[in-house]
Amino acid sequence: MIVLAIESATESVGVALAGSDGVLAHATVSRGRRHAETIVPAVEFVCRQADVGLSEIGVIGVDVGPGLFTGMRVGIATAKAFAMACDIPMVAASSLEVLARGEDDATEIVVPVVDARKGEVFWSMYRPTGLDMDALGEPKVGSIEDLVADLMARDQDVRIVGDGARRYEREILDGYRCDVGSAVNPSAIVLAELAYSRGIRDEVVHEREVLPMYIREPDAQINWNTRQVRP
Amino acid sequence: MSPTQHDVGPETVVLGIETSCDETAAAVVLGGRDIISSVVSSQIDMHAEFGGVVPEVASRAHLESMNPVVRKALADAAIEPTRVDAVACTVGPGLIGALLVGVSSAKALSLAWNVPFVGVNHLEAHLYAGFLEDELLEFPLVVLLVSGGHTMIVEMRDHGDYSLLGSTIDDAAGEAFDKVARFLDLGYPGGPAIDRAATQGDPDAIRFPRAMMDDGLNFSFSGLKTSVMNHVRRHPDVDSLDVAASFQQAVVDVLVHKTFRAAREVGATGVVLGGGVAANSLLRSEMTAAGRSAGIRVSLPGREMCTDNAAMIGAAGWHRLRTVGASPLDIGAFPSMPLVTSGGHPDE
Ligand SMILES: [Zn+2]
Repeated sequence: MIVLAIESATESVGVALAGSDGVLAHATVSRGRRHAETIVPAVEFVCRQADVGLSEIGVIGVDVGPGLFTGMRVGIATAKAFAMACDIPMVAASSLEVLARGEDDATEIVVPVVDARKGEVFWSMYRPTGLDMDALGEPKVGSIEDLVADLMARDQDVRIVGDGARRYEREILDGYRCDVGSAVNPSAIVLAELAYSRGIRDEVVHEREVLPMYIREPDAQINWNTRQVRP
Repeated sequence: MSPTQHDVGPETVVLGIETSCDETAAAVVLGGRDIISSVVSSQIDMHAEFGGVVPEVASRAHLESMNPVVRKALADAAIEPTRVDAVACTVGPGLIGALLVGVSSAKALSLAWNVPFVGVNHLEAHLYAGFLEDELLEFPLVVLLVSGGHTMIVEMRDHGDYSLLGSTIDDAAGEAFDKVARFLDLGYPGGPAIDRAATQGDPDAIRFPRAMMDDGLNFSFSGLKTSVMNHVRRHPDVDSLDVAASFQQAVVDVLVHKTFRAAREVGATGVVLGGGVAANSLLRSEMTAAGRSAGIRVSLPGREMCTDNAAMIGAAGWHRLRTVGASPLDIGAFPSMPLVTSGGHPDE
């Protein structure tokens, strides 16, 4: 079985194919934020390079966020439509889990931190068990002070990782001493490996069960001076 | 993968997808003309509490509704997905986050089914809504496109060959309806609310200005909105039903007057209405009356074809595939895409 992974929850866009031989092909674009323009051509590219026909794909893995709303929706919409059209199941993973699983050499608590804009971040905590990453609680959103308070409350050795960790590194380290992982964006390769291992264990869901993880409510402020298209 | 242009014919089946504003829609259209199915999932209730379309709320709802709406369009059409020859989708203008849900889904379907993807201009699609319901239309035509985002008069000389004759210099007509309805506390969306209220009011009660009536083919509705507000502030006891009826009459007078002036100027054989405001009952009856006295055929698409739908996307997509061909899979969405005229390529 071959899985196609689609990752677009942050600034970066990535797609990857994985099978029993590991990762077969991948493509990543980390600048430009042209998610919608990039994903489908990237899928065509990896399939052509790895000589994989679309009919060979048995599972679609997708990052459902949290992250940049518009970007993550592009990946989720693409993945869900693809799963519907090909009639294949899906594996959904959060951006935080994908980031955490990228730190497979960690022995300390891994805290993925994703930039939520407006001075806030999404984060959660994972404990490496050697074989797996155990989630410690639910993903959260809040200010850097909220994150630091959460780290202090746990009071263990910590490795932070992600674009939020990168952007607010100084502020976080000022409040709590920790290591900083090198990854900035969730990796499509990690997502593909995760989707493959869940896929062969049949831990898959129907496309309609795949829901975005926004965590934050929509901003309902309307700028009446901005002309909007209504029928 | 893309069919050559001669492959596009009366048997070509296009799946249309529309997510530019607050309707998630999918439709199956045969030969650019026959609507086999048309599904519209409206978000009006979600936005009502805010009194307008909230972009993030709209985008979230589109993602939720997209696949169920496509499934239903295929099921209603009773066709297998393998029968779909092309996927057409609105690429602009509209709300960027909303557009991107449809564009992403449409491109994935096109890749998965190995059929062409066709990026459609939403405004051009509104022009095609008339053709879906009136087979006797003949070029040249004048189209009045009136919605919450647009007010324009377009000359249609042929498929893909348009001229913009006039447009609003400030508010769109539908925007004026929304703002006045909100000011008068008549509810949301404003178009149907004013339409309803006006039936019980006197359209001659207040003489509101008809801006730029004899001054070119452009429109201005901002001053009208202001004079409605000033009038109500000066006469707090005024009957809001009379205000609604008088306001609506002022808007309709200008729209009808300018549309028929344009039709005479370009020698149009017919006048077509499109856009959500084209569902307004006074506009429809006065257009019909003006057409009768001018001897010009007036085509009024049904209300479902005036408001946003995907059948018009499927029809416009069929024409575009035939005349221009498929769109590349690396295009995105174009939030302020203009109506490209004279056979241009509306993708950029
Ligand atoms: Zn429209």
